[in-house]
Amino acid sequence: MNSRLKETIEALIFVSQDPLSLERMQVLLEGVPGEDIRAAVDELAGDYSAGDRGIHIVRGGGGYLFATKPAFDRDVRRLLQIERKNKLTSASLETLAAIAYHQPVTQSEISAIRGVDSTYTLKTLLEKKLIKIVGRKKAPGNPLVYRTSEQFLLYLGLNSLDELPSEEEMSRILQEEKPADA
Amino acid sequence: MTEGPALPQDPVEPPMDAVPAAGPSDGYQVRLEIFEGPLDLLLFLIRKKKIDIHDIPIAAITRHYLEYLGKKEQINLDREAEFLFVAALLIYIKSQMLLPRETDLAEQDDPRRVLVNRLLEYQKIKAACSLLREKEEDQLLQWKRHFLPPLPGESDLDVVELSLFELAESFFVLMKRRAADSTRIIRGRDVTIEVKMKELVGLLRERRMIDFLEYFTAHESLEEALVSFFCVLELVKTRVAVAVQDELFQTIRVWLRKDPPRQVAHE
Repeated sequence: MNSRLKETIEALIFVSQDPLSLERMQVLLEGVPGEDIRAAVDELAGDYSAGDRGIHIVRGGGGYLFATKPAFDRDVRRLLQIERKNKLTSASLETLAAIAYHQPVTQSEISAIRGVDSTYTLKTLLEKKLIKIVGRKKAPGNPLVYRTSEQFLLYLGLNSLDELPSEEEMSRILQEEKPADA
Repeated sequence: MTEGPALPQDPVEPPMDAVPAAGPSDGYQVRLEIFEGPLDLLLFLIRKKKIDIHDIPIAAITRHYLEYLGKKEQINLDREAEFLFVAALLIYIKSQMLLPRETDLAEQDDPRRVLVNRLLEYQKIKAACSLLREKEEDQLLQWKRHFLPPLPGESDLDVVELSLFELAESFFVLMKRRAADSTRIIRGRDVTIEVKMKELVGLLRERRMIDFLEYFTAHESLEEALVSFFCVLELVKTRVAVAVQDELFQTIRVWLRKDPPRQVAHE
């Protein structure tokens, strides 16, 4: 079994529709020590990124998954007949960021942070499944409470909310912007 | 009070209305739309005028801010109420600062404090946005199987009866696809619901079952497709026909119910 561990993992990641986490692999490959799995995954990921391959293994959404390499974006889009990719609008991205950093959060709180009514943007984000409703706040009007979803992590290639840009990274951006804009 | 005279303008800087809002052709028009909101505009002004965010000269910033709003000939209340709200807030803060006080204000009582905190928080979100945007762009270059139609589930016979809403959604997907197909000349042809309904019921009787997507793709004009879609909705609503979708992303099949309720009088 051990000699074919890498191949087994490759097969599992290939078939899995959601990112396959190390924990899940450990359950599936009962008896195989965690560090062996880890090493095999790393080796496998290394094989793909080093080799002449169109795909590689990426981490995102708390697990591993296959993705095409960025260089082949145009070709893949031709296959899927997608001319232009829909990036989030800046209003959507701003709302999403406000939610990500302040969750759990209500519509009026988000609107206050942005200084702009965010009802419509929230609806769009809900439709895109990037955020989810997690309940109601015990406050006047019992407003809905929002959080970012698993899909959000995967969309941005994050594994957990801890990987959101940190305060330091943000202040670096602000430092960079100042001389450029002034 | 910390208010100074208006800060010296940077000599190389183009006049305010030209940066970055107005294109060369639309003269004095200011496009507030380029700002995500009033806070965005305020931050822009603060940066442009090289103002220290912790010590904002309220009178000066309010003047610049109102100048911006004033460039707009008409105020669209739906979009710009928020801009006006912040203008009012600025004026309120100024009035608070003008009030004579017996003792000097402690720093945390500075009337500007609330606004500054909001601006700082907003600024952080903006910075996060530019970082997240990079991540988004990076991810969008890498295609994952996740975004492709899901694999068949455990049981292929997991038939779902569709709601009218889902049926409508499929229809819009289809119409969108068709709209993207090509532009073609639209020939006028009157199709009435009554005629279409008869045709559809006849077809259902004859073939027992029709393929929703196939049926609509076969229709030449948008109008005809629309009318037949209404007919299908009507048939489902009156429970004459059943619409079924086997799997997500698959076509929807429509057939007549074995014993349609009597009260339907569409034929």
